[in-house]
Amino acid sequence: MDQQGGILPLGNPNLFNTQMTKNGLIQKQDYQTFLEAASRTMIRFKKPEHLIKMIVKTIDEQLKIIHTAVLLYKEEKKSYILIDSKGTVGLKIPVGFVRLNVDNPLIRIFSEKSSFFISETGILNYDDIIVGLRNRNILELQPDLYDNLLSVKKQMDLLKAVLCVPCYFKRDLLGILVLGEKVNGENFSREEMGFFVTLANDAAMAIANAQLIENLQQRVEEIKELYIREHRIFIHTAIALAAAIDARDPYTHGHTERVTNYCLAIAKELDGVPEVSSYKNFRETLQISALLHDVGKIGIPDYILSKNGRLSPEEFEEIKKHSLIGATILHPIKELSDVAREIRHHQECFDGSGYPDGLAGNDIPLIARIIAVADAFDAMITTRPYRKKKSVEEAIRELKSKSGTQFDPIIVSAFLLAYEKGNILNNQKQP
Amino acid sequence: MQKILVVDDEHEICDFVQAFFKERGFHVFTALNGDEAISIAKKEKPELVLLDIKMKGMDGLAVLKHIRELDKFIKIIMVTALEDQDKMHEAYKLGAIDYITKPLILDYLEETVGRNLKVAL
Repeated sequence: MDQQGGILPLGNPNLFNTQMTKNGLIQKQDYQTFLEAASRTMIRFKKPEHLIKMIVKTIDEQLKIIHTAVLLYKEEKKSYILIDSKGTVGLKIPVGFVRLNVDNPLIRIFSEKSSFFISETGILNYDDIIVGLRNRNILELQPDLYDNLLSVKKQMDLLKAVLCVPCYFKRDLLGILVLGEKVNGENFSREEMGFFVTLANDAAMAIANAQLIENLQQRVEEIKELYIREHRIFIHTAIALAAAIDARDPYTHGHTERVTNYCLAIAKELDGVPEVSSYKNFRETLQISALLHDVGKIGIPDYILSKNGRLSPEEFEEIKKHSLIGATILHPIKELSDVAREIRHHQECFDGSGYPDGLAGNDIPLIARIIAVADAFDAMITTRPYRKKKSVEEAIRELKSKSGTQFDPIIVSAFLLAYEKGNILNNQKQP
Repeated sequence: MQKILVVDDEHEICDFVQAFFKERGFHVFTALNGDEAISIAKKEKPELVLLDIKMKGMDGLAVLKHIRELDKFIKIIMVTALEDQDKMHEAYKLGAIDYITKPLILDYLEETVGRNLKVAL
């Protein structure tokens, strides 16, 4: 059949409406039109089952055959299962009635591809099996082959198959298209067989694609799940670490959790600030940085952390090291290099008077500036060994008064907006 | 010509199994429910009955009991879903001689019927 040659007409979008001639056969030109439209349509089917149903329906409509069926390999059953069948009453095989395992003679004749009873088109023809069984040479000289032919014949009898057309993808047998007799009892023409082969090949391609996509989607889902799981473990590790730090310092109980919540509330008001978009994942970096901002306190001696009274200048110098220690602890973790930078600078002041590097203005990374405000606010409204706690109103007055010197005015405004909306003290454990 | 009665509440299955055994030289009757099955069994006296164990209305076990009361020589093969296999214990007690599981697989169907009627199909 001339499948490739000639100029093909544009795809017929009405795939199922190809006209038949009076004698019930479609003409050569129509095959080509039909095949082109069919292969275009196949690409659109996401589920192989829908595609199979379309093929069976089309063959049933286009050619007068007493029955048509498709077997498809199902990995989970390790067998070829009847997916769809159409035909006259009593000949439509109910779905599930056919299950051929990989050792079935009918499957082996295709999967081993060794039989010379398969024509060069790849089709297994019932008539060829009968001719083989009548051949005395085979009966006498090749009894194994004779038995094999008998068992193949039996399988074709069960299916009432006249033709079996394999669907291969690469070297794998994906399925078999089973065709019964023509209603008028005639043999299939070469053109019709070519039509089935092309249809089967296109179908194999589409089925293989659909299976690949399905596998791929499954892999993507698995990876997503894995990512979510790992991410959850990571965040919870950070939270556990933060809780461990808080536990060492009796005066800062719950401090990390509150600071993190203030930071997230401030961040909500910073939507659209250009600097936010310079972070690959702003919210997450902010959350982790806030959780771990005091991780460096691990390196500060207990007697200083829990000292009941004002710190000496030496002790204060010691405390000041915590932001540097924190950054050093996180330094080996490549994925947290952003976080390490924010932690290093969370004690910087907007006017350059902070530590450890004395950075000023926008040279201080944004998240560090946010943590600075949140951290200071929580410190003010909490009792510390060296001073009494301030009221929330007093603390806010102090934030305002230090806006532009200790704190970034933009962050202070964001904090005030969040406070007015009730997002700062709302739903939070009070210090 | 040997007679087979196929009892299943699914039309499609009755039609197919009927055509399948007709081609193999049997006279095949079908019944879509228990009442129909019992009246055909009474009238036609089939050699063998393929009886679905799970049906709407009168279920397979009740039909089995009725048919056995009519005629002790009718061979009855139950058709059961895998998950209902435990009902076979009861079916054997009531006189069923064999069973075949659903979904029916053509090879087994042919083989089971052939074996019980002692004919080569």
